[in-house]
Amino acid sequence: MKKNIILGPAIILILWAVVAKLQLIDPFFLPDPATTIKKIVALIMSRTIEIDIIATLLRVGTAFGISLLIGLPLGLLFGTSENIYRSFEFIIDFFRSTPATALFPLFLLIFGIADTSKIAATCFSATLIIIFNTAHGTMRAKQSRLRMIRSMGATRFQIFYTILFWESLPQTFVGLRNALSTSLIVVIITEMFIGTTHGLGKLIIDSQITYEIKTMYAIILLTGTIGYLLNLLFLGLEKNLLHWADK
Amino acid sequence: MNTAITIQNLKKQFGGVEIFQNFHAKIEEGEITTVFGPNGSGKSTLLNILSGIIPKDSGNIHIKNFDLSKFSYIFQNYRDSLLPWRTNFENVALPLQLRGRTKDEINKEINELQKIFRISFGWNSYPYELSGGQQQILAFMRALITRPEILFIDEPFSALDYENNLMLRNSLQKYHQKYRPTIILITHNIEEAIHLGKNILVLSKKPTTVIKTIDNTTTYPRTADFLKMRDFHLTKEKILSIFQKTLAI
Repeated sequence: MKKNIILGPAIILILWAVVAKLQLIDPFFLPDPATTIKKIVALIMSRTIEIDIIATLLRVGTAFGISLLIGLPLGLLFGTSENIYRSFEFIIDFFRSTPATALFPLFLLIFGIADTSKIAATCFSATLIIIFNTAHGTMRAKQSRLRMIRSMGATRFQIFYTILFWESLPQTFVGLRNALSTSLIVVIITEMFIGTTHGLGKLIIDSQITYEIKTMYAIILLTGTIGYLLNLLFLGLEKNLLHWADK
Repeated sequence: MNTAITIQNLKKQFGGVEIFQNFHAKIEEGEITTVFGPNGSGKSTLLNILSGIIPKDSGNIHIKNFDLSKFSYIFQNYRDSLLPWRTNFENVALPLQLRGRTKDEINKEINELQKIFRISFGWNSYPYELSGGQQQILAFMRALITRPEILFIDEPFSALDYENNLMLRNSLQKYHQKYRPTIILITHNIEEAIHLGKNILVLSKKPTTVIKTIDNTTTYPRTADFLKMRDFHLTKEKILSIFQKTLAI
């Protein structure tokens, strides 16, 4: 089948429209897509939402950046030595399955109610994803390539930067994209439940409480779109940097 | 004969299976020795033991003046051993880059090799853009750019079509005539073994020993015409009879 990026969204919009039209769900709780999209346009045109988008994106960017700085070197280190990885495997897998959102009280206690605790909770989730994927990518380096470079008498450091680092990249990128979506999700949830003056999460919870259901769906849709665009940005980067992958 | 590599009483087991037992061999210095044997006779394992990638169980291996920087190994699976994230140039340059040589020095060495290997690809493209034959040339150039004194080659032609196969055999002979490294070339193809080898080691099935070492004194370069000559066919018959006896075919 030919690639068609419109097809997926079209199916969802049509299903949504049918459900709304047949009033399978109370229209008060599920407005139809046209109304919701109109609402998004109105929100964007009014420009009051800009400050919230920027606040959320800043948190996501900061948390993702910090996670990258911590997760990438640790993942590479764990990946180069199976023994180190096995020693930390329990911690990584344990906390990877622990919802950061359930640990909010702890984060609040340690980092206070300002942005720091939101970013810390997000980093917690994203860093583990990056470590896990980078380490596994590094460990899966082709033995034939390692044999080849060793037969050339390469030092450990040379093996690392000529082979291991590159071998890890495809899986590292899977981790980075995953970590980016998770960052967006956790930031939105922290904005909803820890509280903040600006942010898309705050707008969602406010419109829920005040029964502004149209606004709520509009912002959820907007958040999804932002996530999709961030993912697209990364895919573009990946295509350029990893043109050689799977070849 | 000057011996470059002596193997005495080599023993190696893998999971209870005897691969080498009382394995003796001598490899002549500055010549091409081809190793011909059935699949599963441990030909690749032999090279891996000699180069230290796999440890031996017992026995003596002596390699005259062994120096890792004067040694190269061309692996069977060239597709996997080339690095797809590096350009063709960076792949060939890799061993010299590891030794900290400058780009000018590397270019000089590549130019020397280009007198022997016919290149029909750009240096700035990537290995995955090349045909199998071109990739194998790249792997050869990468191994030869250090001008090794000892060269191990594992089934270099098995994935190539006949034309590329003959072309690469030709280039390898030219290189050998010019630089005279000691070469061990492994193959399961009898024609390749006779075409290239000055000495041909015929291996048995597992547990593997050298059944016979055959001298092949025809002078180099041996063109494709050699494959039509009487000498070639006599040697082939000789190897086949030895082979038939041991394998009971």
